[in-house]
Amino acid sequence: MSRGSISLAALLWLVIAFLVLYPLSILIIESFKIAATGGWGIGNYLEFFQDAYYLKTFLNTLYLSTLVLVTTTVFGIPLAYILARYRHLGKTIFTALILLPIVLPAFAGVFAFIIFFGKYGTVNLLLMDIGLTEQPINFIYGLHGLVFIQALHMLPFIVLGLSAGFTNIDPSFEEAAEVEGASGFRRFFTITLPLCTPSYLAGAVLVFLWPFTDWLTPLILGQVDFLPSVSYINISYHFTDVHRKYMGIVAVVVSSVVCISLFLLARWWVEKKKYTGLSKGTTSEGRVIEPSAWVKSGAYVYMIFIAILVLLIPIVLGLAAFSRRWVFEPFPTYWTLENFRLILLESPGLIKNSFLYSGIALVFGIAFGLPVAYLIVRTRVPGRDALDFVITLMLAFPGIAIGVSYLLAFWKGIPLAQYWIIMPIALFARRLPYFLRMAHSSYLQLDPSLEEASEVSGAGKVRTFFNISLPLLLKGVLVGVVMFFIMAFQEISTAVFLYKGGWETLPIGIYLNWHRGMEFGIAAAMAFLMIVITFILLLIISRIGGGVLKAAWGAGEN
Amino acid sequence: MAFIEIQSLFKRFKDVVAINRIEFEVNQGEMLTLLGPSGCGKTTTLRCIAGLEKPDEGDIVIDGKPMLSQGFVPPSKRGIGMVFQNYAVWPHMKVFNNIVYGLKLQKVPRQSIREKAQKVLELVGLEGLEDRYPAQLSGGQQQRVALARALVTNPKVLLLDEPLSNLDAKLREELRFEIKSLVRRMGITSVYVTHDQAEAMVISDRIAVMDSGNVVQIGTPENIYEKPANKFVADFIGTTNFIPGEIIRVAADTHTAVMRTEFNEELHCHTSDLTATVSGAKVNASIRPEDVEVFSQPPENPENLLKGTIAHKAYLGNFLYFFVNVDGTMIRVQVSHQLPQEEGEEIYLLLNPQKCMILF
Repeated sequence: MSRGSISLAALLWLVIAFLVLYPLSILIIESFKIAATGGWGIGNYLEFFQDAYYLKTFLNTLYLSTLVLVTTTVFGIPLAYILARYRHLGKTIFTALILLPIVLPAFAGVFAFIIFFGKYGTVNLLLMDIGLTEQPINFIYGLHGLVFIQALHMLPFIVLGLSAGFTNIDPSFEEAAEVEGASGFRRFFTITLPLCTPSYLAGAVLVFLWPFTDWLTPLILGQVDFLPSVSYINISYHFTDVHRKYMGIVAVVVSSVVCISLFLLARWWVEKKKYTGLSKGTTSEGRVIEPSAWVKSGAYVYMIFIAILVLLIPIVLGLAAFSRRWVFEPFPTYWTLENFRLILLESPGLIKNSFLYSGIALVFGIAFGLPVAYLIVRTRVPGRDALDFVITLMLAFPGIAIGVSYLLAFWKGIPLAQYWIIMPIALFARRLPYFLRMAHSSYLQLDPSLEEASEVSGAGKVRTFFNISLPLLLKGVLVGVVMFFIMAFQEISTAVFLYKGGWETLPIGIYLNWHRGMEFGIAAAMAFLMIVITFILLLIISRIGGGVLKAAWGAGEN
Repeated sequence: MAFIEIQSLFKRFKDVVAINRIEFEVNQGEMLTLLGPSGCGKTTTLRCIAGLEKPDEGDIVIDGKPMLSQGFVPPSKRGIGMVFQNYAVWPHMKVFNNIVYGLKLQKVPRQSIREKAQKVLELVGLEGLEDRYPAQLSGGQQQRVALARALVTNPKVLLLDEPLSNLDAKLREELRFEIKSLVRRMGITSVYVTHDQAEAMVISDRIAVMDSGNVVQIGTPENIYEKPANKFVADFIGTTNFIPGEIIRVAADTHTAVMRTEFNEELHCHTSDLTATVSGAKVNASIRPEDVEVFSQPPENPENLLKGTIAHKAYLGNFLYFFVNVDGTMIRVQVSHQLPQEEGEEIYLLLNPQKCMILF
């Protein structure tokens, strides 16, 4: 253990203390402030759990989480199984389509589905035109719509986890069951599915936590009695009523505690049940089945159904973006580029801000994430596991908690929030785990002897890092970089608390245009623009991941 | 009596022929080993017997019932037990539940399940471990669970796919004998797959040697070691020397032939294939290292006597091992007594004509 890595660890801990521990402790302290007396106490918490309304929002959120998790699980299991096990055409394109919601901004889906499934949206108007219904059907407003939209957004997490599980479990586990006499469904439910629980759980916990984070979707659908929405309203709209503000903060803390506890519980359980290490000599492809023609057509229908739901988002937003006055008509009739002209002429700053803030956050992310990955994987510095732990916890923190705590922490004492740099810093803190995970796992795959050989040849640690490690890590790091950028680019739940006039990003612009002015043409054009930018970035990922680097390092993962 | 019949079984994976119309039988209560290098088709053959792989042509008959020609019989209906190379002990179930999984599916009454499980646990020496999870067991114990699971349903046929290859050498040797005596005691017809020839020799009643999708020889371990059918078998089972040369005389009545080696010495050899052993044929004489005698001085009888130089000499405790250079051909020799000659010195080799075999 060198002195260099100790100072590096100290430096990184300082950053974490400043950007994570300090603001979060301020958040907790604020939640104990009593508005009426100006003193301290647990009064706010007592009120939260005794007040019928807050209690209801709390239970509502738990209920919503359960519904979303059940829905994604029921739809995700067959989807993951088809993707992982069946030999079929267009595997890559279907996988890409079904995973698309991960990279699309959550609110983009909400707007698209309101336009399409709303009371006077495309589907209802068509149904009434052909005379099937008299009154519009309420497809989307209410709990069912909320579950639908949130489930579609989170479905990829379940599918990703499960299909990895289905692919990675040793085929002989299932063959052994087959030989023992278990066929079909029996084998699936007694062997296959239980063995996949660890990888399922990793995704499931993120799905369950989403309703504790997403304040915007319920708000737009007219459902405000959920914790994040209540926090948002209390803090953003009632800041003059100090007591309501504190209650909002309490709601944020309660959400955070629930999220963190569930996250840790799932992590502990997964660690305990790690099955993968037990099998030896798995095939890379896993078990691939050639299903019968009937099953195969059923699988296609199912995949196409989900893919269409996902594709509705960019298509509907595209239609709205290139038209004006699209109301009470199933499809737009007046086509124009006006929306884009307005964005580019009147608010080019939004695009600039989005790129600038995400870009700076990204630079911070690399400058911080790579050394952390190095420390965790390659050194024995004390506290490196704690460092990893704290950063991983950020995955579970609701974005709203980071936004609110930054607002509280960096306003008076350390007046960072009065400068625009707070925006990229917040994006960096919120999305850090995404980059770190990626750098971490590519570091784990890098054989230490490659670096040792360089050191033996006379290169110092820093030189070895730039000459040997970095070029070899590049693939994983680059994919991590682009993912980080995409996630930062669509961030709203943190940014919405921190922006001031002139600091608006595209997601905030979308929200404001929709929410305040009902300018949904402009909002749709902005969302469409974001989707296009995200799509281009994804193309770059697949180019980097699949093209140039595949040639240099041989066929990597599929 | 043939209990398992493999009838011109053929299987190809894309462009590669994995098994090429092979035929063999396994007798009731017998332990047959499929032995061969990796890629020879032995595991594919075993998986076809299990029903985990569907062959393209041919049939498999188990206990008089065809598994393929009268409709495919799935693995679950074949009445087999199988031990997998990587154990395949389900990690999410306790040892007990792993073992009784098949019994539960057969709807065996609860009391009977307990008894059978208890009995098989004793049999494999895992008493008291039934409440452990597989992760809490050693590799050897996991392998015993796999064996118990395969045996508990009292299958008609036991299939073992390299069951010992993931264990360390000491344990492997121990378990060989244990599996052999266990299976013999229960009298189950078994097919055992391995690439380890020593393991095959220990465990089998008969061995089927496979090479690139074909069964090249079937016989008892002694038979295969003493009378290899071809060059491949001689090379794969044990260690041997190949001396290339040309046939100059054949004595059909005594199954002997005289060969002129590339270094221009005459060798008297045994031959079993009289149609191919003709004058002028380019052949190899095979002689095992332990069938070569070593002398410091040339002995009286000069037949099959070669003179060479010791290239390497190694002391291996219970025997000496020499690499002897005979005019550019390296011959390995194993002797059980001490010899004064050192590396670089000359030595005489006597190749026992009875053990010197012409192979193709």
